[in-house]
Amino acid sequence: MLLSLSWLREFTPYEGTAQELGDRLTMLGLELEDIRHPYEAISPIVVGHVVECAAHPDSDHLHCCKVDAGQGELLDIVCGAPNVAAGQKVPVALVGTRLPDGLVIKKAKLRGQLSFGMICSERELGLTEDHSGIMVLPPDTPVGARLVDVLELDREVLDISITPNRADCLSVLGLARETALAFNLPLTLPELPLSLDANGPEGIVPIEIADGELCPLYAGRVISNITVGPSPMRIRHRLHAVGVRPISNIVDVTNYILFECGQPLHSFDLDKLRGGRIVVRPAAAGDVFTTLDGQERRLTPQDLCICDAERIVALAGVMGGLNTEIDSTSRNVFLESAVFRPGTIRKTSRRLGLSSEASYRFERGIDQCRTVWALDRACAMMAAVGGTECVVRRGLSLAEPRPFVPARISFRPARANALLGVTLSPQFDKAVLTGMGCKLDDSSDPWQVEQPSWRPDLTREADLIEEVGRVHGLDTIPPVLPPVTLDLERAAEPESRHDFWLRIKHWGAGLGLNEAVNYSFVGHKDLDHLGLPVEGRISVMNPLSAEQDVLRTALAPGLLQTLRNNLAQGAQGLRIFELAHVFTTDANSETTARETGMLGLLLHGARFDAWPQSDADMDYADIKGIVEHLFRFLHLPAPLCRQREEHPWLAPCVEVMLDGTLLGVMGQVKPTLAEAFHARKSVWLAELNLETLRALHDAATVQFAPLPVYPPVRRDITVMAGPSLKVEHVLEHVRGLGVGNLEDIALVDLFEPEGSDERNLTFRLTFRHGQRTLKDAEVDKEREKVAQSLVAVLGVRI
Amino acid sequence: MDLITTLEGLVPELEKGLDRASSLEELENLRVDFLGRKGRIAQIMAQLPQLAPQDRPAVGQAANRVKESCNALFDARKAALEAGREAAALARFDASLPGRAPWRGSLHPTTLITEEICGIFKGLGFDVASGPEVEIDRYNFEALNMPPEHPARDMQDTLYITDTVLLRTHTSPVQVRTMLARKPPLAVVVPGKVYRRDSDLTHTPMFHQIEGLLVGQDISMAHLRGTLTAFVRAVFGGATRVRFRPSFFPFTEPSAEVDISCCICGGEGHVNGEPCRVCKTTGWVEILGCGMVDPAVFAAVGYPDEVTGFAFGLGVERVAMLKYGIGDLRMFFENDVRFLGQFN
Repeated sequence: MLLSLSWLREFTPYEGTAQELGDRLTMLGLELEDIRHPYEAISPIVVGHVVECAAHPDSDHLHCCKVDAGQGELLDIVCGAPNVAAGQKVPVALVGTRLPDGLVIKKAKLRGQLSFGMICSERELGLTEDHSGIMVLPPDTPVGARLVDVLELDREVLDISITPNRADCLSVLGLARETALAFNLPLTLPELPLSLDANGPEGIVPIEIADGELCPLYAGRVISNITVGPSPMRIRHRLHAVGVRPISNIVDVTNYILFECGQPLHSFDLDKLRGGRIVVRPAAAGDVFTTLDGQERRLTPQDLCICDAERIVALAGVMGGLNTEIDSTSRNVFLESAVFRPGTIRKTSRRLGLSSEASYRFERGIDQCRTVWALDRACAMMAAVGGTECVVRRGLSLAEPRPFVPARISFRPARANALLGVTLSPQFDKAVLTGMGCKLDDSSDPWQVEQPSWRPDLTREADLIEEVGRVHGLDTIPPVLPPVTLDLERAAEPESRHDFWLRIKHWGAGLGLNEAVNYSFVGHKDLDHLGLPVEGRISVMNPLSAEQDVLRTALAPGLLQTLRNNLAQGAQGLRIFELAHVFTTDANSETTARETGMLGLLLHGARFDAWPQSDADMDYADIKGIVEHLFRFLHLPAPLCRQREEHPWLAPCVEVMLDGTLLGVMGQVKPTLAEAFHARKSVWLAELNLETLRALHDAATVQFAPLPVYPPVRRDITVMAGPSLKVEHVLEHVRGLGVGNLEDIALVDLFEPEGSDERNLTFRLTFRHGQRTLKDAEVDKEREKVAQSLVAVLGVRI
Repeated sequence: MDLITTLEGLVPELEKGLDRASSLEELENLRVDFLGRKGRIAQIMAQLPQLAPQDRPAVGQAANRVKESCNALFDARKAALEAGREAAALARFDASLPGRAPWRGSLHPTTLITEEICGIFKGLGFDVASGPEVEIDRYNFEALNMPPEHPARDMQDTLYITDTVLLRTHTSPVQVRTMLARKPPLAVVVPGKVYRRDSDLTHTPMFHQIEGLLVGQDISMAHLRGTLTAFVRAVFGGATRVRFRPSFFPFTEPSAEVDISCCICGGEGHVNGEPCRVCKTTGWVEILGCGMVDPAVFAAVGYPDEVTGFAFGLGVERVAMLKYGIGDLRMFFENDVRFLGQFN
């Protein structure tokens, strides 16, 4: 809300600065955003008197003027405006002045004639769009005075952010009330008496309201013989100062009253209203109506309409219709001032994407007790600016099916003190509430408080307590730490989901991975790119863009996006992890969604960042090592890693299993897919289900294992075999043999001779006896048995 | 020449040899030559049986003396050579060679700030709770005193899944879920992702919030002020000033916004004579919204009239930006590792 300080001063005698006012209002909950100085740029403009005006000797449109601008001597100014004439008082920009559009006035020679300044049009001064000629000031304007002073321009405008509950503060009147309360000043409503045309006929338009809930009050007056034209400078400049474009006397007056009193008004061309009556009713399904902006609107029964005897003439509270629009030839106006149900206006305004100063106020609530007052004020103003023949007809058109009934609220001063944590005297409470406009009966406890008509937000005790607290100052309540009651029943609860995730995050960061956070939404095309199923996706109904139109069903798209971002910045090696939810539809869920916590890992490029570490690239062993490390970290046994034949975006793809439960997959992103993310090297990716991991972790126990006393004996066996023999075949076979005293078997070397299909795999067998030291001979015998069995059963060469 | 003289002659010969030896290898060769099983001392001693028995002890003793002397010479020379080699190695040592850097991981700044803040509130006795990110309208809006058509819904542009299912616009629905599941008194903080249909320099469609809720008997605005003052001091330092400014949220009454003295300009409004770009010369920056739980919210979850409580909500990225001096919100979600690695 833009509030002009000089406009405010018409309602309350505030003498302080704009900044002081803004600061005080801020601490009352009306936050000052900015202080604007709309006419700052033209403050150097002075009033000049055109003493002489002669045609330019070498031009058919320029004039050579001698101007008294209070400088002690007459200035020669060349002026091109058609309306310049001797005797005028005009705004003059002297040499050195910078105009609002940035033009700096210099001494100039125009077709041989010297010019020491410029006589300005309203547009050149940034006052209005008028550029038809120079601005001409009243004859009695003092020469040499500053234009901003003689025009009484609104030079300080406060931009105040109004919270949705403070409908009353969307007007000068409302903010004047707050100012008066804050600085203990009187509120003085400037008089604007309405005189009705005593001689002419009555002007009453019958009003019919279909549903009083939707339209508690509808009023109007008829204004006749108006001459449509520009409004007086004062109105235009003031509207301009608060960001409203002046249009015509009729429109400007409705806007002026809207800003001043908070009551939106609408003017119909009375001669276009058919049947001379108004019906307020919901639209019928399929009704089509063309609004003032020329748009054809298809209406629903949720929209409230203003109709004449035959057709819709306005969308109530939102926008008028083209069919009854005021035009330059309009002579008779029916001016509407009404109250509509806020929710109805909001629904229509939202559905049609039509938000206006009027709908904004109707949505938040109107002071029903001032609706007719504002109408009369507007009529008085219109009569004053509508030309010499303009009159307001006798008779008020009014229907008020639901008169305003103020809420009666019980208020307990003790409760206010308890909730605010401060001791306020009943006298203070009473002063605040009455100062706010409440009627109050404090003869018994609780007090009975009556809501002011302009405060739709005050209906409950808590609302009144807030008012008391706000005026006292929330900032002066002494801070105290609260007593927190802990519950013994909750002492044995397992680690929270948040803490589990946090511990995994610390594990990842401690291991040397960088935690990423990607958006939960991606584009359908990102999921399509990876071949993720369409079924089960959750689409966003109103996405910001096609890149964000679906919730991710896997972490891979986000991780790959992170990869692309980093490669674009020249990253050499990336080790990224992310913990986040993936989303799929779930008919059994209250929210229709299943949210599954996942851990995503992505490795790409160089294993290490700098010499003297090796410059080798990361491979399968890196991602598998990290996954296995996590299992150890969570007190889980090593997972079973089994290659899967087919996967949409991984090849090879390895399933990570534990006790028959699938916990996730890991593998290399198919190079054809990785290319889209500008990856030139292998991209290794893993996604693990955190919900399952957490359940397994919660069930896992940690048990001490006694340390072995006797030394181990180790024997290596190297087997040669084709690529179909996997390491796990050897491990499983040997473990199944029941070799005596075998403690462990592990692969310790892998050699792939050039030009051969075969691999040389070296396994190390570790033997140990619990009660004695093993002898070489007995270990050698066991090793030999293993070797022979491998040859015989797996067909390897030793 | 008698054997004793021959033996004793070996010592000066060895000394000369040792002087010429410049490596441990040469030293070892000399040792083998003199003291080895087939070395020169051994060769001389091999002639011992040819001597008369009465001469043998003297030669034997001489041989032992010579052996000892040789061993001592070898040890001394070896020690000298080793010392020289160590000195040379030390001289070659370059302390400025780069270290063999292990991987250096990092937590996302939102994780760091969330952990810090949740830690502070845990210390005050709050539990950490969580809830779904896809939420129903009832919990996200209606139970929080925002019926359909309420203009306050404009304050939060919503991403919808269906007409009644949405991406939560704040962590406040977890307030409702917590109160429906538990009886008062309770104190929870709720960190999590939230979503708004908004994207520009200062807004991203996803960001992180932390919600706090404390419900009990006789909980007052003074307690809210105490809790948040403690929080601000812990995060931004004890010298930070806190300001409570009345505001409006549908689910709290009274409501307030909390400003802290600007951590960039120290609340002065200017840095080196230039207007502070963070607080725009006001000296204050908005940090969170809070208030006393609105009776309508208690009614929606079936809590009795007598309970009171407070709630607050803050933006994690906002705190991180102020604390670390990050200027661009979007960097949080671009995941540039040069950004990610800066905070721990």
